[in-house]
Amino acid sequence: MTRTNLDILINGERHQILIEPHWTLLHVLRSVVGMMGTKENCLEAECGVCTVLLDGKSVNSCILLAGQTAGRSVTTIEGIGNPEHLHPLQAAFIECGAVQCGYCIPGMILTAKSFLDENPGRRQSRDEIREAIAGNLCRCTGYRKIVDAVALAAERMSVAGAKP
Amino acid sequence: MSFDLHRPATISEAIGLSTRLAPAARYIAGGTDLVIQINRKKVFPDHLIDLGQLPGLAGVAETAGGYSLGSLTTYRSIELHPAFQGNLSGVIEAARVVGGHQVRNVATVGGNIVNASPAADFVPALLVLDAELELTGPAGNRIVALRDFVVGPGRTVLGPAEIVTSIRFARLPDRSATAFLKEGRRKAMEISVVCVAACLTLDESGSSCASARLAVGAAAPKAMRPQQAEAYLLNRPPGRVSFAEAGRLAAESSAPISDVRASAEHRRHLVAVMVERALTACHQRILEQGR
Repeated sequence: MTRTNLDILINGERHQILIEPHWTLLHVLRSVVGMMGTKENCLEAECGVCTVLLDGKSVNSCILLAGQTAGRSVTTIEGIGNPEHLHPLQAAFIECGAVQCGYCIPGMILTAKSFLDENPGRRQSRDEIREAIAGNLCRCTGYRKIVDAVALAAERMSVAGAKP
Repeated sequence: MSFDLHRPATISEAIGLSTRLAPAARYIAGGTDLVIQINRKKVFPDHLIDLGQLPGLAGVAETAGGYSLGSLTTYRSIELHPAFQGNLSGVIEAARVVGGHQVRNVATVGGNIVNASPAADFVPALLVLDAELELTGPAGNRIVALRDFVVGPGRTVLGPAEIVTSIRFARLPDRSATAFLKEGRRKAMEISVVCVAACLTLDESGSSCASARLAVGAAAPKAMRPQQAEAYLLNRPPGRVSFAEAGRLAAESSAPISDVRASAEHRRHLVAVMVERALTACHQRILEQGR
């Protein structure tokens, strides 16, 4: 087992991290870089709480080896907005009351962002949104308000015409 | 968990590594299945050879005869590819039921085929297209039909250090359509209880079946082509009666198991119903093309 150097862009910032080959991207984000917004739960790509964006596309960071992401760009929930400037999805989740315990929300928002970014400027149907978040489990609010929030953000982002 | 991760830059480098490190090495593509198996301590490779950054192995290409999918092509990119929105819509229907978006953004077509799961959703969709695989190994390239590639659960004819590099299938003739149906215990993120793919071509008058290809997943040790059902449909008029009989014949030739997801009896029933529905969907699509 050889430690190797991982050169990776996290939320726009370049990191060089000494990793062990079996470390997952999730482990690196939480335990090495200290980005705790990405949650850990099933570790089998079933629940979606560990979702991050890899080169803009949603992935389960729990089953992605960190070494597989060398040279690529990772975006976590910390990287898409801040309290002064929320991402439209973050604002919509608050407005729609789509948050209870909050554990699934980073994954929900990043999954939704990846999905909405595939078709910028297009309104998404509720069925499409439901299908898009099928890989994200929520055990407290239920999905109605979450779908409401994604639909609202999709509406606003389509009016804005481009992704922020 | 303890292994070394190698990241070769070329196919020949990957094959060289695999040859040198055999039998303790495994190739990894998306890793969406392999990493879980390693975490569950079901496989213990000492070396993983990551194929993820090999050039030229991802993407869909249109060739003179048809289509070539690089083995590293992700399900999400297939799902969104305009080439499959016509009479190859069965390909999209199969791609879109593999895991959730996060898995489909990473999981590769080649990885799914090489895993040789009896329930692999994409395999039936490719079987009805008579897909062929191009393999590259220490002795060079060879072509193997997908139906000969998978031997049984988890077993393939892949030789030592060989890599699946592409998956090819021909363009369909006029008056053709494809369909894919999946039955799981819930609507998403589920292993198939049964899945069915169909590819139907009608003759010029549209009144009889010029070709009917069927494939059934999760109802036998490997995805199978129910040949009696296919042969029965040949030159018969398309419609409820012939499609139902094809379903009955397909169910008869299936060999399902009972497990936590469903009984063998239920699976056999599903095969009959789903084959009929898949053929009906194909027929409907051909009629719609004609309008």
